[in-house]
Amino acid sequence: MSNTDLIVAFALASIALIVCSGARAQHVAVIASSHDDSAKPALSAKQELVPYVVPRITLVRSDGKSVSLPEEMDDGRPVLLNFIYTSCGSTCPLMSQIFAQFQRKLGAEAAGVHIMSISIDPEEDTPARLKEYARKFGAGPEWQYYTGTLSASLTAQRAFDVFRGDKMSHAPVTLLRAAPGKPWRRIDGFVRPDDLVQEYRRLLALM
Amino acid sequence: MSSPSIRSALRSLALLLTVWLTTAPSWATGLGERIYRDGMLPSGEPVQAERESGMRISGSTAACVNCHRRSGLGMKEGRTSVPPIAGSYLFQPRAGTVDDLELPFVEGMRADRDPYTETSLARAIREGVGANGKPLSYLMPHYSLSDDQIAALTAYLKSLSPGAVPGVTGSTLHFATIITPDADPVKRQGMLDVLDKFFTDKNHYVRAEGPRIRSSRRMMYKVSRRWELHVWQLTGAPESWEAQLHEHLAREPVFAVISGLGGSNWQPVHHFCEAQALPCLFPNLDVPVVSESDFEDLYLSKGVLLEAQLIARDFQQQAPSSGLHRVVQVFRAGDAGEQAAKALASSLTASGTTFADRRLPAHAGSRDIASALRSLAQGDALVLWLRPADIAALGTLPDKLSRVYMSGRMGGLEHAPLPAAWRGVTHMAYPFDLPERRRTQVDYPLGWFKIRNIPVVAEQVQADTYLVCGLVSDTVNHMVDTFVRDYLVERIEEMLEHRIITGYYPRLSLAPNQRFASKGGYLVHFADTTATKVIAEGEWAAP
Repeated sequence: MSNTDLIVAFALASIALIVCSGARAQHVAVIASSHDDSAKPALSAKQELVPYVVPRITLVRSDGKSVSLPEEMDDGRPVLLNFIYTSCGSTCPLMSQIFAQFQRKLGAEAAGVHIMSISIDPEEDTPARLKEYARKFGAGPEWQYYTGTLSASLTAQRAFDVFRGDKMSHAPVTLLRAAPGKPWRRIDGFVRPDDLVQEYRRLLALM
Repeated sequence: MSSPSIRSALRSLALLLTVWLTTAPSWATGLGERIYRDGMLPSGEPVQAERESGMRISGSTAACVNCHRRSGLGMKEGRTSVPPIAGSYLFQPRAGTVDDLELPFVEGMRADRDPYTETSLARAIREGVGANGKPLSYLMPHYSLSDDQIAALTAYLKSLSPGAVPGVTGSTLHFATIITPDADPVKRQGMLDVLDKFFTDKNHYVRAEGPRIRSSRRMMYKVSRRWELHVWQLTGAPESWEAQLHEHLAREPVFAVISGLGGSNWQPVHHFCEAQALPCLFPNLDVPVVSESDFEDLYLSKGVLLEAQLIARDFQQQAPSSGLHRVVQVFRAGDAGEQAAKALASSLTASGTTFADRRLPAHAGSRDIASALRSLAQGDALVLWLRPADIAALGTLPDKLSRVYMSGRMGGLEHAPLPAAWRGVTHMAYPFDLPERRRTQVDYPLGWFKIRNIPVVAEQVQADTYLVCGLVSDTVNHMVDTFVRDYLVERIEEMLEHRIITGYYPRLSLAPNQRFASKGGYLVHFADTTATKVIAEGEWAAP
């Protein structure tokens, strides 16, 4: 790549960044998105509103039923979404625990949110395995797990920009949407349960 | 008390003391190991820990092994880098750069912090404060452990420090391959030819005393080592195999077991590797041992057990519309099909299906095959767990049959000598990528075999063997000089999904508690009555 190419590429990347994050970029407390011995919990990180298009794919819910992803997401309730796999050692259990805590903190109100976790290791994560995983994290009826074919899972991961090459390279991302047709709030990193509840309420108030 | 009895009492006391002194550390290490691996306290109670925001975890969810891995050498998951906590990495003196550390290189090792002391380590475990006084990552829980429990855990962490490993010398890496006496002799030769040539190739460029290669920027020094293969050919009854393996290992210490070949009973070998903490990497097996909580034994697939799942899945889908209500399974006594038949039956027990086994004597002639196919009825699904010679002897197609399945793995895949009348109706379990899709993948090893004059006598076994050699070789290269057996297994788990060359399989992937790299397959049928073209019935499915 020549110098001119580099400058052009850099300029394009900067414009893209500005366009994507725009004026709507907000700050939320996110607990460390990188991890090393000395990493302090980061107190703020950028989160974005992104107009992801929900792909028209069929997934298999942990009750064994084949369902359409847009229909599952557009049932009228706000959606809280993440991507996990059940063999994952460190990141996913914490992400799931944050959702569990969110569910607990909302109490009876939680039934009004559709919490969704999509497996990024669908060949291994059978509905039965997901059911067991859900039980481990005390998932209520409003929190559902999805698997399906490898290509369906990949399509979903790409649609929400969480695909990082393979399952071991995935990074923690939380997605929130107030209602069908609204943009998604994307939070990169581990969000504190309290902050997630707060963010959820703020998003609903904006509607 | 007389003096002789005092002397004898003192002697007993001294003996007791010696026994206690030699066993006490390992006793503490054992308790530490349970905390580390299982999240269990010596009392049998689960370990308790807490994260910020009051998120509590306990037991296996809180076990150190989840993040720091069995080797204690940490891992990388996305942008998350979990540091090594094997003793030598915690207690190492501060160094200027990672290059200056006298420790095997692992991702996430740190040079620029004070060494932990037992006190600061206890604080890190309980309060999440690092040796330098700064808080540790959010992912690190705060554990409720007593002083004794911390001491046991610390003793265990120290025991994880990489040291001398059997099978690894300054100049040579020793591997074994294990062959059971019931292994197919043709496949055996095919596999050994590939292993032999791979090792020869590998050593071609290694000089007798390879100099250390060391870059000044990163600690990427490594010694070029020769690879040496030991063929552990077992003999006699399976009950004696474990003792034979112990003898082999004592005589020829090896770093890991690479490839291998078995018949229908691999259990003694699997168990030996697990008990000896010896990685046993991807043997060629029709029937592997399914125990995914085990660690050391990795397999390419579940073999005929996967085929049984593929058939069960199709049977359940077809049963209502085709009126299937009985499964008739034909297999040879003692062959892989016997266990496959059992697996198929157990996965369909809940469905109210009835089963009939047509178990042929191990050395029965082809006339017995024909008799096994008598008295079939409408509503029967026939499942053929047979080798090519038996497939060729099937004779006329019974007329009342509703559906026919066969094992592709046992029957010879697209080269199965299925009689013409059977070809149009038989659904073959095909736990590999389809022939036209894997061609580019398999062309490479086939070309490699050709250049090295290796006769292709069992293509799939030889391609798998070549695949595994490449896989282990790549992984060992990435490990730099960090020869720790458990770390080898962990690195394979992490790297496998990145592989572009995956041989007979569309995709390979492992993870903690996943021991079978390829997880699915197809059902196929022949396109016509003579050629080898097969057509997939639906997409690749992981049952």
